[in-house]
Amino acid sequence: MTQRRSLNLKIALSVLAAFLLSMAFTWFVHSRLSERDAYKLIDSTFENVEAEIIDCVNERLVRQCMAVRERLDGETRKDTASLQALAKELNVTEISLADPEGNITHSSVEDYLAAPGKPAFNFVTAGGKAEDMMCLVKGLETEYCQPFRSNTANGAWRKFVGVWIPSGGFVEIGCDGESLRRLSRSTLMDLFGNWRVGGTGGIVVVTETGLVISDYEEPSREGSQWEEPDDTFYWKRKDIEGFRTYVMIPKDAAAVQRDVLVGATAALNGAALVFVALLVGIVISSFVRRQIRVQAAKELEMAKSIQLSALPNVFPPFPGETRFDIWAAMETAKEVGGDFYDFYFTGQDRVLFLVADVSGKGVPAAMFMMRAKTLIKSMAQTGKPLAEVFEEANNALCEGNSSNTFVTVWAGELNTRTGHVSYVNAGHNPPIVRLGGKVEYLKSRPSLVLGAMPGVRYRVQDLQLGPDDAIYLYTDGIVEQPNPSGALFGDDRLLKLLAGTRCTRDKLLSKVIDEVRRHAAGAEQADDCTQLVLRYRGEPESSSFEYKPTMEDLAKATADLDAALARVPMEARCKLMVAADEIFANIVRYSGATEWSMTVEITKHPDGARLVITDDGKPFDPLSHRDPDTTLKAEDRDIGGLGILIVKKTMSPVIYRRRNGKNILSMGNDYGDKNQN
Amino acid sequence: MEIKTKTEGDELVISVSGRIDTVTAPEFDAGLKFGDSTRVLLDLENVPYMSSAGLRVLLTAHKTMLGRGGELRISGVQPPVREVLDITGFSDILNLI
Repeated sequence: MTQRRSLNLKIALSVLAAFLLSMAFTWFVHSRLSERDAYKLIDSTFENVEAEIIDCVNERLVRQCMAVRERLDGETRKDTASLQALAKELNVTEISLADPEGNITHSSVEDYLAAPGKPAFNFVTAGGKAEDMMCLVKGLETEYCQPFRSNTANGAWRKFVGVWIPSGGFVEIGCDGESLRRLSRSTLMDLFGNWRVGGTGGIVVVTETGLVISDYEEPSREGSQWEEPDDTFYWKRKDIEGFRTYVMIPKDAAAVQRDVLVGATAALNGAALVFVALLVGIVISSFVRRQIRVQAAKELEMAKSIQLSALPNVFPPFPGETRFDIWAAMETAKEVGGDFYDFYFTGQDRVLFLVADVSGKGVPAAMFMMRAKTLIKSMAQTGKPLAEVFEEANNALCEGNSSNTFVTVWAGELNTRTGHVSYVNAGHNPPIVRLGGKVEYLKSRPSLVLGAMPGVRYRVQDLQLGPDDAIYLYTDGIVEQPNPSGALFGDDRLLKLLAGTRCTRDKLLSKVIDEVRRHAAGAEQADDCTQLVLRYRGEPESSSFEYKPTMEDLAKATADLDAALARVPMEARCKLMVAADEIFANIVRYSGATEWSMTVEITKHPDGARLVITDDGKPFDPLSHRDPDTTLKAEDRDIGGLGILIVKKTMSPVIYRRRNGKNILSMGNDYGDKNQN
Repeated sequence: MEIKTKTEGDELVISVSGRIDTVTAPEFDAGLKFGDSTRVLLDLENVPYMSSAGLRVLLTAHKTMLGRGGELRISGVQPPVREVLDITGFSDILNLI
């Protein structure tokens, strides 16, 4: 859980960091955007402002020029001095009159007039901007304005405006900056007073010498000296018709928009983030929870697989073994317990079998089970007596057993020749035995469980099994399975079940499990259910024969086998005879053996027969040969391999071993076993 | 092993008694004389079992009859023989009646 909390913290921090980063980014972007927008606004404002100023100045000068024309209409005194006086009076810098050919006939500027050796200024020959004035005599325009510009003649700045004279020629006035200011001031003053740019920005117009004409902020400053705006404004300056014009926007006004945007973004992002964080939180916590569940399930699986993989699970475990048979099964509960069963030979004729139940559940129980199983097996296989095996296993299991896990074990060691069983019960449920047809619990005083206390002595007890006697081991998962109302399956029910059934081997085990399930009636399996049944069959009736690889001996072997199988029922006998014939023929014809032998075993409980055929020929494992194709047409048939196929199909089990340079083939048939598949 | 041959109408009837295995197969093989008959009935009622050695003989006989456009029918097959014929797929080839 700590892991999860720190994970949540990490997520929260990174979400917060992402939030701040995105805000900073938004702020930055909008700062840049508001600056860019401000200049865009200034530029587009200038387009209007310029047009307005030019229109305003032009209109004003045309009016002035018309006034000049009016004053000169019918006036005879047009000499330079008179024109100079008129110019002064009307606040223009210069006045000229031109004839229809463009010659200046009268002017306040002496230079323009004709003088000895010099023609008058001619608008056509002067070319350039001057020639544009000629539109007034061509009948194209009645008035014409040039922009305020540096005069090409003397470098002085002038704005020339002309109006036509209906009787021919035109009047031209030229104004310098001061003149323009005086003429246009009053109209310009009102022009931009109410213009607002970007909320609180505006337009300032000053003269070329810096005297304020119009200041949107302080109209009263008109006439005072202007200072350029500082960096609290976005602004630009442009000289239009001799007027320095400023369009300016206070930065904080531009930033209002940005701040509103950033604020709105922050609010939206914040809301989105909270939402996303909640969503992510939900998703992650469900993911984590699922991971935890998956991990728990994996651990369970691991525990189960530890448990199951350690157990012998191939049945019959000792094919060809005719003196006893042994079957075991385990049904693991959902929460794994530590049950196990085991069996193995501890000597030529001694087989150890056991069922055990480790206290506790889950992986720890499974690990302890592995230790217990391995310890018992490794000690038992040294051939030590059972009591010593248990004492040593107990001491080893006690070492470092801080969790006080223990294991109950019932273990028996069968002498396969005599049917004698030595057994130790380390705190386990008593087994059920069938002795001479009577089914009962094998009550004995149990010894202490393994792993509880070191130095404990284990009591070995004895049991004699005769042919067809059996012993059934189980764990408490069977008898302690409750039904929905809490009643346990119980010892009595188990005993009655076993006494009342003729089933043997795996059929018996699955029948018990079915009954336990039926009793549970849908209730969950409470604990592992583990069972083992061992049936003693007794010594088989056995006869052995030795032969040479000749056809005569083959005939002899057939006769010997026929005699040995005299009491075997017809159908089983025929199968054995056919299978034997196939093997005999192979040995005599193909093996290259110098001698061969046959042992015939007639087994009981259930009835069965087994042939063990040995030869010293070249290695030949009939089981590894591929089956021939039995679906071919008669014409395509080859006879090879059919004999082996017949053996494999009619005998069970068939076991091949190569030992000491000999092929040993064992095959048989428990024809008396009604449980056979 | 005992093999009796008689003619019933246009059909040659061969009756075999005794097991057919590696030891007796040569005798069985030698006893199957068809002459120039095209219709042969092989009676195995008294054959308790047969190993693959007998299959070889049956296959040869069957092919021989096929080769001359004739027919080999087999009757009286006992369960152990039938099992061997089934396992090896011979039931599908031979004319069992």
